[in-house]
Amino acid sequence: MSHKLTTPAAVAATLVALMASAPALAADYVQAAGSTLAFATKYDGEVFTGTLPGFSTTLSFDPADLSDAKLDVTIPLAGADTGNGDRDTTLRGADFFNVAKFAQARYSATKFRSLGGDQYAADGTLELRGVSKPVTLTFTWTPGTAPVLAGKATVKRLDFGVGGGDWADTDTIPDEVAVSTRVVLKPAE
Amino acid sequence: MTWKNTTDRWGPVSQLLHWLIVLLVLVLAIVGLTMGELPKTPKYFWVYTMHKSTGITLLALVLVRIAWRLYAGAPRPVHGTPTWQARVASVTHVLLYALLLVMPLSGWLYDSASGLRPFRWYGLVEMPKLSAPNTGVADLSHDAHELLFWVLAVLVVVHAAAALYHHMFQNDDTLRRMLPGRRRGQQAG
Repeated sequence: MSHKLTTPAAVAATLVALMASAPALAADYVQAAGSTLAFATKYDGEVFTGTLPGFSTTLSFDPADLSDAKLDVTIPLAGADTGNGDRDTTLRGADFFNVAKFAQARYSATKFRSLGGDQYAADGTLELRGVSKPVTLTFTWTPGTAPVLAGKATVKRLDFGVGGGDWADTDTIPDEVAVSTRVVLKPAE
Repeated sequence: MTWKNTTDRWGPVSQLLHWLIVLLVLVLAIVGLTMGELPKTPKYFWVYTMHKSTGITLLALVLVRIAWRLYAGAPRPVHGTPTWQARVASVTHVLLYALLLVMPLSGWLYDSASGLRPFRWYGLVEMPKLSAPNTGVADLSHDAHELLFWVLAVLVVVHAAAALYHHMFQNDDTLRRMLPGRRRGQQAG
């Protein structure tokens, strides 16, 4: 650096030069309070929903440059809550999430696409019950000081062995489970 | 012969309803007390559906029985029964009718509030829900169903013991007039 920092103008010029030469970093975020992750499916044609509390998200995202975007979500499964104790017990059991062996699921994505407007898609990988398969998350991005990622995904439960054995019949429980999330974010420390 | 009840005898309609309900209560009790031990998988859910469907059948029969009794009347207590005994018997009968209504209703409410799956009567007729899914209502109605069963069981024992007491020790027609066949007096003649 050849400038001598003797005048305010020189200092300012140096700062501008430094900022211009730095790479364009995507903003880093972590999950803030008020975030939700839910799923919906049917039993015998009757819809029921569940929530997955306690998940945590980290995200690098810059709408102007999706090449460096990165999403990572860790989802503990033992707290899955469908509003019925018997059903929750079954869900934690070996036929479904098997939380004794696979305590959490993980969704990670590094490939992001713009779908126009504030709509995006992440082509990521869901690791659930020891199986990793591609799952696409489509979401809307609401920028701000607390940006919000509101997304939906479809997960084929049988790809991951969720609800095997007696429960595999898709006439009783469809293969496709609708997942929706609303992640409130704050800048990473 | 009359279908209706006379002052000293239950008619065939009341007798049929009485003993049919005895049979259903017995089956419901045995299945109800043991079905909780079954594995909670779809392979065994038909047992629950049978219990629930039979409970609804019982509810319908009890309503018919009460309506028939209001229409066809009831025999008077056998001659010589002390007033206090007749009163205790009447109170027991009212409680039995009430419990025979509340048992299926509490079971139905429990099923509705559990929100687990649709309830189709013997797999044929979609039953309406008495409540939206609600853990509090489900717990309360389940506890009521269980507790009131034991109250019903005690009352049934008291009721049957009183009938047998009349039959064996008083040697009167109290039990016999709820049984098919001719009266003792007629048999003797």
